Order: sequence, then C-alpha cells, then structure tokens
Amino acid sequence: MTDDAPAVRAPADPFDPPGLEWSRVSGKLVTARLVVSLSTVGLFAVAGAVVALATGAAWVWAFPAFFVLLALWLLWLVPRQVRAIGYAERADDLLIRKGIMFRTLVVVPYGRMQYLDVERGPLTRALGLASLQLHTASAGTDASIDGLPAEVAERLRDQLAARGEARLAGL
Amino acid sequence: MTGGAPGAHGDVTAPPALAWQRVHPVTPLVKGWLVLVVVVVGLLRSTAEQGGGDGAQFALRHLAWVVLGVAVVVLVAGAYSWLAWRVTAYAIDPDAVHMRSGIVFKQHRKARLDRIQAIEVRQPLAARIFGLAEVKVEVAGGDGSGVAIGYLTERTAQELRADLLARAAGLGAPATSAAGAPASGAGTPSAAPVPGEPGVAADGGRVPVAGPATPVTAEHGPGSAGSPAGPASAVAPAPVLHALEAPEQPLFEVPSGRLVGSSFLSVEAWVFVLVVVGAVVAAFAAQTPAVLFSFLPVVIGFGSALFGRFNRSFAFRAATSPDGIRLRHGLTETRAQTIPPGRVQAVELVQPFLWRRFGWWRVHVNVAGYGRDANAKAPTTVLLPVGSRAEATTALWLVLPDLGTADPLALLAEALDGSGPSDVFTAAPRRSRWLDPVGWRRNGYAVTARAVLARSGRVRRRLVVVPHERTQSLGLEQGPLQRRLGLASFVLHSTPGSVHPEVPHLDARDARLLLDEQSVRAREARSHDLPERWLEQPGATA
Repeated sequence: MTDDAPAVRAPADPFDPPGLEWSRVSGKLVTARLVVSLSTVGLFAVAGAVVALATGAAWVWAFPAFFVLLALWLLWLVPRQVRAIGYAERADDLLIRKGIMFRTLVVVPYGRMQYLDVERGPLTRALGLASLQLHTASAGTDASIDGLPAEVAERLRDQLAARGEARLAGL
Repeated sequence: MTGGAPGAHGDVTAPPALAWQRVHPVTPLVKGWLVLVVVVVGLLRSTAEQGGGDGAQFALRHLAWVVLGVAVVVLVAGAYSWLAWRVTAYAIDPDAVHMRSGIVFKQHRKARLDRIQAIEVRQPLAARIFGLAEVKVEVAGGDGSGVAIGYLTERTAQELRADLLARAAGLGAPATSAAGAPASGAGTPSAAPVPGEPGVAADGGRVPVAGPATPVTAEHGPGSAGSPAGPASAVAPAPVLHALEAPEQPLFEVPSGRLVGSSFLSVEAWVFVLVVVGAVVAAFAAQTPAVLFSFLPVVIGFGSALFGRFNRSFAFRAATSPDGIRLRHGLTETRAQTIPPGRVQAVELVQPFLWRRFGWWRVHVNVAGYGRDANAKAPTTVLLPVGSRAEATTALWLVLPDLGTADPLALLAEALDGSGPSDVFTAAPRRSRWLDPVGWRRNGYAVTARAVLARSGRVRRRLVVVPHERTQSLGLEQGPLQRRLGLASFVLHSTPGSVHPEVPHLDARDARLLLDEQSVRAREARSHDLPERWLEQPGATA
C-alpha cells in the first residue's frame, strides 16, 4: 500500500454516494427472516439436546451449544443485514444495495426492465410484506428487494412499470 | 408472445390470412431416425437373447415374427410421424413468423420479426444426406424460445432466411414487388445504408446486384482493424449460391491445420493426453487391461469435448453483409448463422497461455436468445475459434465498426497486450496485488465514445468489449478484503452467454465513478440506438 494514502480515499464510500436518498425496507423483515432461520437452528439444537440427554456424555452437549451460539449470532446478524438493504429511485434508474461483509450495489435502468415480480409467501403475507424483483434481459441482474410493505411494493411495481414503458428500449 | 389456446386448432388464433406452409415430408425421418434405430435394434437384441445361447438361430426360426414386430414398430412410428407432419406448418406475415405443431398438445408460436436476434440455417448430417436444412430463428425470450422451422429443402431454407431477414430489416415483403426493396432506400441514400437486399423477383431469379454493395461497405468504414479487401470483388460469386441473399463480403476463414494445432495447444488436450498416458501406465503397473475401463469415462469426456469443438469450428468462415454478420462452420453438422447489426451484446477476445507464441486469439460473443440454449455444451456464439490478431480485431470490427476512438489500433494494442495505467486505461491499483498477485497489472478498463473495454488476465489474456447501448444493468461488488484495501469490482450485466464483463479490484472511487458515468453513457447511447429494423429509414432519430 505504497501508492496512495488512505486519507485520499477515506471519504469515498462507493456504496453510499452523497446526494442519494436511500429507502429502507420494513423492520418486520427481521421477524420474517428470523422465524425461518431460528426455527431451523432451534430444531437442530433440540435434536442435539435430546441426543445429549440420551447418551449422557458431556461432550455431546457441544452440538446443541453450537446451535445456540449460531442462533445468538443470527439474532445479532439478521437485523444488521436487513438494515443494510436499501434502494433509491433516481430519474432513470433504480439502485439497490445489500450486504455488510459482501456488499453489492446494482443499478437497473428503467428502460432495461423486462418484467417485474411481486411475491408474497405465507409468512410475509401475515406480516404484510412483499418482495419485488426486477428482471432485465440479463440473468446476472440480481435486483430484488425483500421486505417491502405490501402497499409500497404495489406502488413501486406500478411506478417502475410505468417508467420502464416510457423509456423502453430494445435489447 | 405465443398465442394458441391448447386444444383449439392452430388457425383459430391466427389471422385467417396466414398462408401456412408445410415442412418437408422427410422431416420426421431426419428428426427421429436415431430413435427408430434404437428401438428396432433393441427389439432385435431382445429377440436374440430369447434364444438363449444361439440367438441368431432363434431369430431365424421365428423370422416371420421378427419381421412383423419390426414392421409394426415402423408402421406405428410412421403413422404418428405422418400425423405430426400434417399439423406442423409455418407462416410468415409482415410482423412475425408463426410455427404450429403438436397433435395432442398443440403449440402455436409466434416470433416477432423485429425481435429477431439471430437466424441460423442448420444441417445435421442426416439432413444433409437428404439435402434438407432447418431454419432457426432466435428471439430474446430465454430458454428454448426460438422458432425452429424444419426441415425444408436447402433452397427453400435459404430463401426463407433471406425473406425473413429482409422483412426483419424493415424492407417489407420482398416477394410482393420486385422493385420494393431498392425503392425504399431511394430517398436519402447517404443516411440509410441502401440495402444490397435484392429486389426479389417472384421466384428467386435475382440478378447480381453490384451497385448497392459499395455504399454499404463504405458505410462501415475502414474502422479499426485490418479491414477487408475491396468490396466489389466479393459481390460477384455470392449470388450464384444464394440467389436471394444480400451480397456479402468474406472476411476470414480458419484453416483446418491451425484449428487442429490450436486444439492440441489447449488445456483439455494436455489433460486428455495425460489421462491416456496415465491409464496405460496404470494398466501396465496393475498388469491388467481392466484398469483402462475405469479411465474410459474421463477419456470419452475430454475426447468428445475436444472433438466437439473441432467439429463445430471446422471450415469456419465469416463474412459481412448488410444483414449483419454471417458465419458458416461445422464438419458433420453445418451451420450458417446470420446475426443482424446491433444484436451482439458483448464481445470477448481471449488468448490462452499456450497460444501466445503463435499470437492466436479466440473471440466469443453474447447474443440474446443463444447462451442459455438447451445444449450449453455447444455454445453457438463463437465469432472466431482461432485466429491471428488481425483476424481477431477484424472480428471485433464486425461487431463494432466504430470503436469510438481516434486511434483504435493503439487502443487495442494496449487492451490486448498492455498492462498498468495509461492515458486511456484506468488500471487496478498496486494494492490489489494482495488479491490478484499474478494478474493485477492487467486488470483495468478504458471507455471510448462507443464502448467499455475491460481488460484482465495475465496468463490467459482477456479483453471484453461492451457497446454502451447494450448495457443491461450495472453493479458494484465488494468483499471484506476488498473493503480493507479500498477496492471494489465493477460488473456489467450482459445477456446470458459465455461472456461475463467485469473489472475486478478497481480502486473503490474509480469503480464508483465508472458506475455513475456508465449509467449515464448507457442511457444516452440507448436513445441513439439503431432501429430494430436495421435497414428501415431512421425516422425521428437525430
């Protein structure tokens, strides 16, 4: 690291440019994701505990303990992950950013959208959430926003579809 | 995009004016001969096995039954095929090509002509024996969305392709008026490339059109590469074989000697040789040939991959025409592809390490509708299987006649062989060597008025070029290590295919800047894009 000093690049966070207003997704997404992951992890923890009780060997308790630790870690991680999800509507494109450790930022031009999906599962429906997915002609475009309040998702879908139509280009 | 309610007869959903044409009656035989052979052979084998030790005698004793069994199979297959053939038909209207098929589950597929991404005339070995060919129309609809019209006689297939291309180019139906095509371009010959597309006389008897070819090729300009020879020379021989085609101009072909040589200089070939040698050594060590069989799957795998590439790339020829890029290739199965202008989404020039001594390059493209095709092992998107550097740049020129820079040759020299930052290239910073110790100097990008050039790979050199107007979406990616080092990777999302444009490990600020600027450039380029009917008069476009 000889060529440029850290001070030069310190202010530039490429994932948070100035002058952009990021919208967050609903905090209920934390609940939705935790219910799924914790019930899986919990199942393994209980199974581990049963085995440990049955065998009576002390070291077997390492398995349920591991899953309990995993659950605690998830409790810490998932809210942060959900907070890291953001989207911003610009005049001509939609920006979606995700991730804490591995961060991604996707810019989807409205004119490139081929179709939009709004999906709701049983759990997310109970929480009043929906996820919106944008599809372009590229399979590499990973442009989905989970955990939007249902009415926001609908509004966004219609809005984006209208903008896409106005700017539609071929391939 | 597809019409046709199941159960309803195909014609119900289609406009009554559609003139349905049947495919060639031999089609079922060409498509199903292998199945038939397998069934008959299976039948004979099980008959033979019935006889216990001496199958042949058993079969002879019950010859009548054997013949009857085979006859029944052939008859049933024939009857089904005949029914299937009767309902298989295609039609063309001014906007779309229609194809209907299916006895129980009827399918009526309609592909819009202005969405055509590529047209291919395919001739598998069996079809060649009968002089038949299949016309495959690719549209950008993802898996299996193309329309395969076949089989037709070679002549019909050629005519159909020319007709489809003419209509897709916006020349209207050539068959209706012989004078129609040239007239449409008469208004402003300088603005619209006057089609070399023939004024098609009612049935194919077209006179060679010498005049239009010149403005068309001149339109493309000398461009960046070792450009092709004089246009006039190429026009004369073309109409002999392809009476209805737009005139074309051959650009390069791949001699089979070079193709064989390049095959041996690939990693697959070396692994293949190593495996074979290893198998023989192991067999000698174990003193039993049985060992050889355990190596068989690997040998077959590599061998067929090698042969497959050779087979597809055999006699590879490329040409340019007003209808776009023309490619012809194949040993057992021949293909003639036409990719209209503006349909190539991304180009990749690759030089595997072993090819560097010979200065060979391979060129791939992404075309929507190809790529994720059913047989992914046979990518149909090779623009040049192996060629000299001049040919590779010619291939690039085919896709992008104007690179959008004053000195394309200097730019390409740097893009193909250069490394490190320069006037035009923004390179990955030195600190990225922690993440890419070998190739970090090569990682970088350049932006011209027309395209982004992404350079990478030191051992296996790679250059990806994406025209601005073909950008789908853009992305930035950053892992924890990259974050510590202040780096980020820039990704351009292209349509599915073998080319994945990205610039790894850029300075985070460069990456961000590129992302912002590129989204603006892509938007502007899109608004000035060619019309989808590429020979149509550009109307309101400034």
